[in-house]
Amino acid sequence: MAEVKLTKLNKSYDGGKTFVLKNIDLLIKDGEFTAFVGPSGCGKSTLLRMICGLEEISSGDLELEGTRVNDMPPNERRVGMVFQSYALYPHMTVRENMAFGLKLAKMSKDEINQRVEEAARSLQLTHLLDRKPKAMSGGQRQRVAIGRSIVQEPRLFLFDEPLSNLDVALRVQMRQELARLHNRLQTTSIYVTHDQVEAMTLADRIVVLSPLAEGAETNLEQVGAPLELYHNPCNLFVASFIGSPKMNFFSASLLETGEEQSRVKLDCGTELTVFNNTSSAKVGDKVTLGIRPQDVLNHEEECGAGNCITGTIETIERLGNESFIYLKHPDIQEAFIVRVEDSRRREPESAFRVGVPAENCHLFNEAGQAYPRTRSPRFD
Amino acid sequence: MAMVQPRNLKYRVWAARLCMILLLCLVMFPFLMIVSVSFRSGNFATGSLIPENPSLEHWALVLGIPWEAADGTIMQPTFPVLTWLWNSIKVSLITSALILALSTTGAYAFARLRFRFKDHLLTMMMILQMFPAVLALVAFHAFFNKLGNFIPWLGLNTHAALIVSYLGGITMNIWLIKGYFQSIDNALEESAAIDGATPWQAFRYILLPLSVPILAVVFILAFITTIGEYPIASVLLQGADQLTLAVGAKQFLYAQNYLWGDFAAAAVLTGLPITIIFLVAQRYLVSGLTAGGVKG
Amino acid sequence: MTTPADAKGLLSGNGLKWALVALIDTALLYIIAGMYAQGEILFALTLLVLTGLGTWIFTSQKAYSYRYVYPCLLGIILFIIFPLLYTFNIAFTNYGSANILTLERVKEIHLEQQVRDSEVAFGLALYQNDDNYQLVLTDKSNKQAIYTTSSFVPAEQATEVSATAGNAAAGKKLSMRDVIKQRSALGMVTVTMDDGSRLVMTSLREFGVMTPLYREGDDHTLINNQTGEIIRPDMTTGFYVNEAGEQLPPGFSVYVGMENFERLIEDDGIRQPFIKIFIWTLVFAGLTVAFTAAIGLLLATLVQWEPLRERGVYRVLLILPYAVPAFISILIFKGLFNQNFGEINMILEGLFGIRPEWFTDPFLAKAMILIVNTWLGYPYMMIICMGLLKAIPDDLYEASAIDGASPIHNLLYITLPNLVKPLTPILIASFAFNFNNFVLINLLTDGGPMMSGTSTLAGNTDILVSFTFRTAFIAGQDFGLASAIATLIFLIVGFISWVNLRATRNLQEH
Repeated sequence: MAEVKLTKLNKSYDGGKTFVLKNIDLLIKDGEFTAFVGPSGCGKSTLLRMICGLEEISSGDLELEGTRVNDMPPNERRVGMVFQSYALYPHMTVRENMAFGLKLAKMSKDEINQRVEEAARSLQLTHLLDRKPKAMSGGQRQRVAIGRSIVQEPRLFLFDEPLSNLDVALRVQMRQELARLHNRLQTTSIYVTHDQVEAMTLADRIVVLSPLAEGAETNLEQVGAPLELYHNPCNLFVASFIGSPKMNFFSASLLETGEEQSRVKLDCGTELTVFNNTSSAKVGDKVTLGIRPQDVLNHEEECGAGNCITGTIETIERLGNESFIYLKHPDIQEAFIVRVEDSRRREPESAFRVGVPAENCHLFNEAGQAYPRTRSPRFD
Repeated sequence: MAMVQPRNLKYRVWAARLCMILLLCLVMFPFLMIVSVSFRSGNFATGSLIPENPSLEHWALVLGIPWEAADGTIMQPTFPVLTWLWNSIKVSLITSALILALSTTGAYAFARLRFRFKDHLLTMMMILQMFPAVLALVAFHAFFNKLGNFIPWLGLNTHAALIVSYLGGITMNIWLIKGYFQSIDNALEESAAIDGATPWQAFRYILLPLSVPILAVVFILAFITTIGEYPIASVLLQGADQLTLAVGAKQFLYAQNYLWGDFAAAAVLTGLPITIIFLVAQRYLVSGLTAGGVKG
Repeated sequence: MTTPADAKGLLSGNGLKWALVALIDTALLYIIAGMYAQGEILFALTLLVLTGLGTWIFTSQKAYSYRYVYPCLLGIILFIIFPLLYTFNIAFTNYGSANILTLERVKEIHLEQQVRDSEVAFGLALYQNDDNYQLVLTDKSNKQAIYTTSSFVPAEQATEVSATAGNAAAGKKLSMRDVIKQRSALGMVTVTMDDGSRLVMTSLREFGVMTPLYREGDDHTLINNQTGEIIRPDMTTGFYVNEAGEQLPPGFSVYVGMENFERLIEDDGIRQPFIKIFIWTLVFAGLTVAFTAAIGLLLATLVQWEPLRERGVYRVLLILPYAVPAFISILIFKGLFNQNFGEINMILEGLFGIRPEWFTDPFLAKAMILIVNTWLGYPYMMIICMGLLKAIPDDLYEASAIDGASPIHNLLYITLPNLVKPLTPILIASFAFNFNNFVLINLLTDGGPMMSGTSTLAGNTDILVSFTFRTAFIAGQDFGLASAIATLIFLIVGFISWVNLRATRNLQEH
């Protein structure tokens, strides 16, 4: 049972004055593929390094398979890690790289050979075994780095932004390989990335971290399955971080509250119906309305009476199968992005009216916490 | 750059070449002369650059072989040059190895580990290396004089004392190696730690093999510095058989006992290997030298 | 969780470590005990502290980082900082050949002095029994009192025997001639009598009682057993003085305050050469830097000048003076400049008919030193300048060529301004190095020719460090004065390095 349990984990510098991570509570179940995502500076790599022992834990408990390992040095934790820079030993061949940990563990030569060959076969590295890292491409180095941790049969795999040094095409391919690898080995894995697409496609569960704000209780924003985070972000931060392009946000105020549905009025005066439970709020409260570019309808006739927003077309990105229209709207500072499925030519500066289906809307209070959606889509 | 060159280039190249050759004559004169002198017979003979009647007497004497002169008299070697050479090599090798070991571990701590007073210690080392050991000769003399009372093999006139007193020369080397360590990706050692290596194993199996170039530079620099060290050795060593070359070589040229020819042979014999080591390693040394201040 | 296998590995590794620590500690404690026994409490204490610290660092997990630093710090402390402090300390004492011992040791030496008690004398007879000998001693004032010593083997080393009353000697009595043969061996024999008095041979026929000259009084004073005179240590001069005020050697070292520094300022015989030497040191270091830098820069430009095809060869040959160990090159020059047999004077005589007196004329000696040092030092400057010149971007010269600049313009307005900043710290470091260039002076001229009319030996080409060396180790072994001068040099070097640190920082900021 390679279960990882974090209880009130803190990381601070200057003797507790500056916090990087605060009050991290997390349970990673055996065999689960978990991704830590967040913008740079949120401490996701630091958290990973605390789990493998490269960073000291300032306070709180870290348990591996039920044992507290806060003070266990990294070489005794039996975890595997793939570094962003791969960290292949430049003076060793691929074979030596992969055998290094096994040799330190005083394993017999035959067993080392067998394990290395097997890992090399599964990663298609057999023909490269006697090369040095310098003579290999980025993707090959990446596979060696993975192979190096596989042979150790660790309790836990840790990935620190492993794909960020690869070009886009290779990244997609390696993503597939990582997914296949996890399916095969079923080892508990933790994957750090700033790319939410990687997190969404690879992970069973995603942990969203934010840079610690002044006075905040914790910088752990939300933990959940990828689609859970996508459909039911629990706050503004998660809502804006997950999904591409970003969710559009409008400042608004509550006209009617309700358990099943509510009515809001955008600052520009437009009134909309949304399916969110606002029973905890009062009429007149300031709220933020969120709608993903993919969730708007460009067929005015299809949206319910009045549930429409009008903007002025600024630019259009036509990608062939779909187009993103950037609209100007007084309640949005940046652009109001809308996805449409056609690639018709539209005149800039002309008005564009889109439907905002009530069941697709997200609603957040002034503190940024979400009002639960009452008709969010079903997913497994 | 081509367009920067003026038209009368050809004459200027030849002028430069002429200056260069004249200068090289001046530079090379002592070396050619000393080689020539080492093959002359007698210690006071003068003559042209190419000896008229070359003789191997000085070489024989320096190598410790008695030489039979033309008139039948046998000349015995005056000084144990080969012993001195061996002393020098022994002291320099051991010193360099110790300096390497000390400065490598020290540099590792300064480059990778976190501990208190680290920055202060680094600045202190920078300043301390400006003070030459020549100034503390009295202290060295008194210190080893006393120490010899308790640990005889570390007293005056022992090679151990000399080696130990050279260990102060590690500060610059720590800076050199530290800079190199810092240019190596820290993730390599972290990766080794994850692979199950203790900090010592990560240092031994990952960092050290990757630092071989700088370690070689430091070793050779330490070797060259030590083998040419004169002041401390001249104070600590007294017995004729204990001397290093740097101290002993002086004895050839006392006014009362002027052994110019023998000295020449000894100088060529001992200077040549060191010079060759230096020239071979020159390319690697230059970067270290430019960072390491003046040769001393 | 640690598996049993891990635990076993840990244990065995630790066992080895503990054994090693224990071994080293035992050895060190043994030495510490030896030092303590000999009264060197400061040494013993220092070593004890260092040992304790080392043991803690190498056994405690908390001090892990320091395990890597401790050995090199130890080296720095013992062989840089300690000698520095020790030198400062000596500067305030009269430590020197006349006052080299400690007060305790001098007291011991006085207490060991023995005088003969003229009233007691024993006649001697020597008996031989194979290899063993015995002495029979007869009290001259009382012929009945006869003593026989235990048997001993004559040897050229101190021999202790005891004597008991009665004539019990075995073997045959030796004639006077045979006694004389054993004279030197008998001289090494000390006989301890029943009453504890000790006899040594006082003449060929006699053994006599030796008594110590002094016995210990209060407060380090000593009392003369014969005259009752009290001698006391003078803590300002470092000698025992008797009641007549005479100093009784040997001396011991005492703190004399600023006396050594005052001598530098007030004693004309020291001050004048000191000032001369100081000025020459500055001139020597300054001119060396100027010459080597100028030649180095010129050559660096030449060996990097692309039209000069064979510049690679020049470069290697020009570095040669730097590659050859300095002590060899300096001695080569010492021989070449030799006034009588040297090749340089031979050539000069052949060409111009002159034989300059390189080693006896102060001015020529200084000129020779500068020539040799420039020869030794320019390759370093050349190497440095080559690096710095390469760092100046080519497009600066291309731009100036478009503006129609001459080579002189290039030098003045592009090359030099770009060199000055990075070169400054190196020039300062070179100045500091030559300021203390002991090897050159000591090997080439050994300070000579000597100055006349000075109360301490000083040479015309001495620089401060070689003067210090002479004061300390050659003329009079005046360690105190030498350390005082060394302390002054420390201050000067400290100032130079401070300036250098600022120059370097200045460089880094740009």
